[in-house]
Amino acid sequence: MKLLDIIEEVKIGKRINREEGLSLLQKVELLDFGELANEIRYRKNPKQQVTFVVDTNPNYTNICNIDCIFCAFYRHPGEAGEYTYSVDEMIRNFKTAAANGVTTVLLQGGVNPALPFDYYLELVKRTIEEVPEVHPHFFSTSEIIGMSQASEFTIQEVLRKLWDAGLRTIPGGGAEILSDRVKKKISHLKGTSDDWLNVMLEAHKIGYKTTATMMYGHLETDEDIIEHLEVIRQLQDEYHGFTAFIPWSFKPGNTPLHKIIPTYASSTRYLQILALSRIYLDNFDHIQASWFSEGKKIGQVALHFGADDFGGTLYEENVHAEADFVNKTTVAEVIQLIQDSGFTPVQRDTLYNTLKIFEKAEAM
Amino acid sequence: MTFSFRDKQLIPIWRKLQHGERLSLEDGLVLFKTNDIIALGKMANFVQQQKSGYAVYFVLNQKIEHTNVCVLSCKFCDFAKKKGEPDAYEMTTENILAHITPEIREVHITGGMPPDWKWERYLDIVRKIHEKFPEADVKAYTAVEIDFFHKKFKLSIEEVLKQLQSAGLRTMPGGGAEIFTERVRKLLFPQKIGAKGYLEVHKTAHKLGIPTNCTMLYGHIETLEERLIHMIKLREAQDETGGFLSFIPLAFQPGDTGISVGDGSASGGKSHRQFTSAIDDLKTIAVSRLMLDNISHIKAYWVMLTEEVASVALNFGADDIDGTVGQERIAHDAGAVSPMKLAKDQIIKIIKDAGKIPVERDAFYNPLNVYSENVIGKIPYLNSVPFYHNREKSAAGGFKILPVAPRRMGMLSKQGQLDAGLFSLMDYFEQEESLELLPWCIATRDQVKSVMLFSKEGWAGLNGKKIGITDETATSVQLLSVLLENKYRVQVIPERLHPGVNDYSMFDAVLLIGDEALKHNKIGLNGFELVFDLAKEWYDWQKLPFVFAVWACRKALSGERREELKEMISTSLEKSEVNLGIIGYSHGKKIGLTKNETKEYLEGFNYRLGEQERKAMMQFRKLLEQKEIKI
Ligand code: SF4
Ligand code: SF4
Repeated sequence: MKLLDIIEEVKIGKRINREEGLSLLQKVELLDFGELANEIRYRKNPKQQVTFVVDTNPNYTNICNIDCIFCAFYRHPGEAGEYTYSVDEMIRNFKTAAANGVTTVLLQGGVNPALPFDYYLELVKRTIEEVPEVHPHFFSTSEIIGMSQASEFTIQEVLRKLWDAGLRTIPGGGAEILSDRVKKKISHLKGTSDDWLNVMLEAHKIGYKTTATMMYGHLETDEDIIEHLEVIRQLQDEYHGFTAFIPWSFKPGNTPLHKIIPTYASSTRYLQILALSRIYLDNFDHIQASWFSEGKKIGQVALHFGADDFGGTLYEENVHAEADFVNKTTVAEVIQLIQDSGFTPVQRDTLYNTLKIFEKAEAM
Repeated sequence: MTFSFRDKQLIPIWRKLQHGERLSLEDGLVLFKTNDIIALGKMANFVQQQKSGYAVYFVLNQKIEHTNVCVLSCKFCDFAKKKGEPDAYEMTTENILAHITPEIREVHITGGMPPDWKWERYLDIVRKIHEKFPEADVKAYTAVEIDFFHKKFKLSIEEVLKQLQSAGLRTMPGGGAEIFTERVRKLLFPQKIGAKGYLEVHKTAHKLGIPTNCTMLYGHIETLEERLIHMIKLREAQDETGGFLSFIPLAFQPGDTGISVGDGSASGGKSHRQFTSAIDDLKTIAVSRLMLDNISHIKAYWVMLTEEVASVALNFGADDIDGTVGQERIAHDAGAVSPMKLAKDQIIKIIKDAGKIPVERDAFYNPLNVYSENVIGKIPYLNSVPFYHNREKSAAGGFKILPVAPRRMGMLSKQGQLDAGLFSLMDYFEQEESLELLPWCIATRDQVKSVMLFSKEGWAGLNGKKIGITDETATSVQLLSVLLENKYRVQVIPERLHPGVNDYSMFDAVLLIGDEALKHNKIGLNGFELVFDLAKEWYDWQKLPFVFAVWACRKALSGERREELKEMISTSLEKSEVNLGIIGYSHGKKIGLTKNETKEYLEGFNYRLGEQERKAMMQFRKLLEQKEIKI
């Protein structure tokens, strides 16, 4: 099909297929992409508003036996710099965050085989009891698979027990690129694309809400990116369990993958992929801009390329920091960044409920 | 692809742009205030593409800051030191030369204003660089420094510039403009020269044949109106002299420079925010592209914008990304986050990432190297519009258009950096071995109106006289020389001129081509009473058309690509021929032609290479071979 026809289809709200998506990705010029993505963004969310969440991103352990070659964060058991915090220590951490206005704790860690399943359950339970101000948004798919392997519960049972403990949402990290060809190269121990999708599917069945992510800019092809979007769109059709999609680019510093991919993916590429996601994922309510990985300035530009959410304020963050990639912000700054981009900032919770609208006068 | 405007207020502005109309201050305000930055960017990209196609220019340059000692103490400057302060430095000419390497094509010199340097020292820097590195164009001293020299050394501004020019200065940087309103000047830059002084220095430079850049420092206390007033003042000055090469919006770098940004300003009165927002950066680039209709290039200065934003800016109207830059003290001391030096490869990558053609240039924007595949050259004159106008992006097989003066196109083709193009006939003759002729051309029937000799004397009277000759193409020059030698039997002294920059009055006749010739054919050229149309001279003599340019592609181009190319040319031409007045309208308007004049002009050409045209090519070649003196 001709490019102009695909563009017309998108404009009238038709779903595009793999081939059409690939055509767009490879042929559409940057601003035409933005225009198209905006059509859909404003159809789904007509308000000139952008949401953000006040969150923190701590880690309970950096011990991991998965050895992903894009990861600068993990340590092997016994290696210098390794750590595992007790539940008490984590609760203290969350309390400090809550005192600073944090409403969401996005908690992830390495896959540490020495931790008993009870540790995780206790972490969830005690967070809900002792730090009710925060919403636990805990554990990536890799950790859930790890819990299943260490405990001999099925994935479904693990998820069910975590649900019973009070967990309601799960972060969508660990998807990287849902292509087994690429996964074999960058994270051969991590499990296949199906493993990630399966955890998400089981979670959505139970009633969890999760996000979906994509990390590009390493060994993937354009086709891999399209495939990634395609499979999560299919899954979303079944239970509508994804709240948002978050693409970001790989940051090579301090990782073994650095040798193969020495440079950052370009900002133009990011905006194209973001716009393509908005167009392709017609069953997703929100697309998140990643100011943290792309920089604040490009984060602002992203809001004009289909994103309607600015992500979290990240009170604490260690994973990227280990790759020497450090971006810090404050709630006041996030509000300012969104306003400067031409939008009204809206503070939300993990489930995208509005907590506070910052009209101009209320800017901090 | 069509435009869809989220902000309907942009629609009347878009209409104006399509008709090549100039925007007003009110239009500028609408643009600055819109939230539809995609449509704003698309409009700016449209205008930029008309000017430079897919080209994004960069220069291998070295920035030299010869000293940080300065008698002034401007508020925002973290760079200047007083003599005797621990980190004050003053470079000797030898120090400076040691910073320059042979591949550098432009040396950019600015610095503080020390109390005790002699005039000769400044001249010496320029002279020595020029002598030792003749390949490098010297771009030196901002208007503020020129004014300082004028006062300190008691020389007129013109004299200062003349002496620098004869020492080897080619162009001047645009720093020191800040914001052209007295309100801002009084509050922030009371020691700077202000709009009047700045423009006087630049206009004087232009009249001497020194092109310059111009700048605007935004993101401090200025209002949006003040930004637009600034742009409009530059636009007016450019109408007078035409000497500005590029406009560079400079984002204010707060650091700890002592300006706290107040309320009511364009940047909204923020205390904690450090840098301009990306949206403001992109808007400012786009708005300047749209307001400054008479300045050819808009520069995205990556050192201040960050690489990421600079790359995006290349789709928002910017067509220059500056250079490789050596020392960047002023911006860096105030906390700019970009790395100190971007290697050439990285610049090329930034430009390619944006989907554009990286073009390495010299100080005058002459392309030196093109780093991309699938590039087609386009002569940037009105008469070539029919070949390109109806080229649909998606139908063009991924070819990218690079507008480039004919002579440069020949050069790039010789370097193997173009797939195809509409070549000046001389270049085709020269590269016949590697080029394949395609069946299209620009040939005249009897007259052309755009290859003109403006003269103070009749043909016979030109014997022994000085003729200024455009350096844009060889074909017209050779045609002139054939006419002079074989038809009129006179000998002249040819000298190169840069159209629009040189003072023509120093010549007895000038040969102009393209838009410049077309313009002066209509309005006349002061002091030159006689006007000769070279195509008419040729026709009266030979009774043949004259072929100025032919389409050709690389012989190595694959069959498939060649078919795509032919398809593109013939489709565009056929569509264009239906209405030549309309397709040339906005281009014609820029050089002062009415729709009918444009139509008549374009109808005067034959765009297909027929029998007569081929015969004319042969005849011209024969005369060239017989000719004894080569220009
Ligand atoms: S990305 Fe996660 S699973 Fe992979 S090595 Fe790092 S911590 Fe372990
Ligand atoms: S800005 Fe220039 S003139 Fe002003 S103090 Fe700094 S170096 Fe001197």
